[in-house]
Amino acid sequence: MREITYSEALREAIYQSMKSDDKVIMIGEEIGQGYAGVFGVSKGLYDEFGPKRIIDTPIAENTIMGAAIGTSLLGFKPIVEIMFSDFISVCFDGVLNQAAKVRFMTGGQYNLNLVVRLPGGEGSGTGPQHSQSLESLFMTIPGLLIANPSNAYDAKGLLATAIDAGDPVLFFEHKKLYKTKADVPQEPYKIEFGKAKTVREGSDITIVALSYMVSVALAAAAELKDKYGIDAEVIDPRTLVPLDIDKIATSVKKTSRLAVLEETYMRGGIGSEIGSIICQKYMDALDCPINKIASKNVPIPMPPSLCNEVIPDEDRVVQEIRGMF
Amino acid sequence: MNFNQDLFLTFFEKMYLIRRFEQKVYEFAERGLVFGSTHLEVGEEATAVGTLLNINKEDYLIATHRGHGQELLKGTDVKNMMAEMIGKDAGVCGGRVGSMHVADASVNNLGAQGIIGASFPISVGVGLALNLLGDKEKILISFFGDGASNQGNFYESLNMAELWKVPVFFVCVNNQYGMGTAYCSTCNIEIHKKASLFNIKSDYEDGNDVEKVYHKSKELIDYVRTKRLPALLELKTYRTIGHSAFDKHPYRTKEEIEDWKKKDPIKRIEATLTSNGVPLDTIDDIKKKVEAQIQDAADFAIKSEYPAYTDALEQ
Repeated sequence: MREITYSEALREAIYQSMKSDDKVIMIGEEIGQGYAGVFGVSKGLYDEFGPKRIIDTPIAENTIMGAAIGTSLLGFKPIVEIMFSDFISVCFDGVLNQAAKVRFMTGGQYNLNLVVRLPGGEGSGTGPQHSQSLESLFMTIPGLLIANPSNAYDAKGLLATAIDAGDPVLFFEHKKLYKTKADVPQEPYKIEFGKAKTVREGSDITIVALSYMVSVALAAAAELKDKYGIDAEVIDPRTLVPLDIDKIATSVKKTSRLAVLEETYMRGGIGSEIGSIICQKYMDALDCPINKIASKNVPIPMPPSLCNEVIPDEDRVVQEIRGMF
Repeated sequence: MNFNQDLFLTFFEKMYLIRRFEQKVYEFAERGLVFGSTHLEVGEEATAVGTLLNINKEDYLIATHRGHGQELLKGTDVKNMMAEMIGKDAGVCGGRVGSMHVADASVNNLGAQGIIGASFPISVGVGLALNLLGDKEKILISFFGDGASNQGNFYESLNMAELWKVPVFFVCVNNQYGMGTAYCSTCNIEIHKKASLFNIKSDYEDGNDVEKVYHKSKELIDYVRTKRLPALLELKTYRTIGHSAFDKHPYRTKEEIEDWKKKDPIKRIEATLTSNGVPLDTIDDIKKKVEAQIQDAADFAIKSEYPAYTDALEQ
């Protein structure tokens, strides 16, 4: 097995899908010529596939999304890159009112293969409009699938699945993950949506963590075990929609404690959703209240001195988890 | 120009079909069978008929929220259209969405958007897809209203339609009012002139004269089809009824409405037919044929079932 980065894994999934299926195209700003992807994911693809498959656009997210919907209606499998996930607001109508509704509104006559790649999260000091984690905002909308790869292996397998998922997929990537490496098979593979992964087994508490926060959870779990004898189980849902609630519930039944760790805002977050489902269905399994560990309800700041307070880090996770015992 | 009787009889039959369809939907609305709103195009029939008679079955359509005529002319069965209007499972979209979002994959109708202006970016995408497929024949006809031309994505999409040279024929049904607001109080620039700013071939025509609409759109459709470039046609018309079935349109004067009723496209075509010696019996026969078609569709819709909920609808 070879190690490659999260960026390279994404690129490999796109490359292999484009090689095997001529309906797969990419649409976005600065993806071909120019920057070749602000985070380098599409590097080299323009040279390989040319302007008909790697389609550079004006700065016009509305029409980028429309172009993806329109091409998908005619059988293409577009992968949109929204330069920073925050910019999805500009084409929110396309996501909310068009893409998400096509299957339902047409009585199933049309459906969309459409991936929207969304580089998100804090990671480059880019402040309030370039650093958000917005998954929770979209989780409420029927008709959208949401994937959140936390490592290079999942990035490749989930993206391969997303490309012909049959419904629009919001594919949330994380800036701090692009350069991280993992063992990734060279041959194409897919990871089924809705299958969470236990990334660390433990017996005392279940930590559900997403995207970059999986690595924070693992670091915290190591410290909790070493210093405090708390044995945490860490679960990565990998896709928020569909959500593998069964796997989370099974773990909670074993550990009797649940914390949800996310970079999205605290209010109305993923922890609120997962927590309420666990409370409704598995209250008896819990020995203490569920703990939501999320970004504070503050726009994501620029300087590290503020980011460190707003966004959960290893220290905060350790402290929060210790408070549950 | 020689009088082409067959063509004029087709104009009449198709416009009369739309008129009677809309009146039946209005009747259903009054009977409480249409849930929510429905947008009727009484008075605007020539815009759909004159353009779509030049469109092939293989071409694509994006209609407006006021698009029953556009959808019928593209070839959707009248019965399935009528059933959709009152939310029955035999409707073209399974009765799920009703009047505003009719899509019909069997005739390449890609669906109408209820968000004003949302169709522009999608239209660019459809045109892009035709280019990527290397298609040299099919085009998209994409309808919009005057009000939509004030949305930002109109300009964004015109830019990209020209930049990418997409084979899209944009048709503006300018009925002068966005709901209750007159176009002239929202913008000082005529809609076809907005397109010319982007070097898109554009023109305008009397939208109540089906013959003129037919010939003008034929010219522009030939241009889009052969040059593989976008074009835009603005058709000036008027809905002689309210914005939605229950709108009593207090924002317009009686005089204005009466004035436009005199320019009714169906009355005009009837006059042309009779003045060219077409016997009244021929016209009456068409009316009876359409009447029977509408009644069959209405009966079919009424007899159909409402869609049943299933968990499979969860997404």
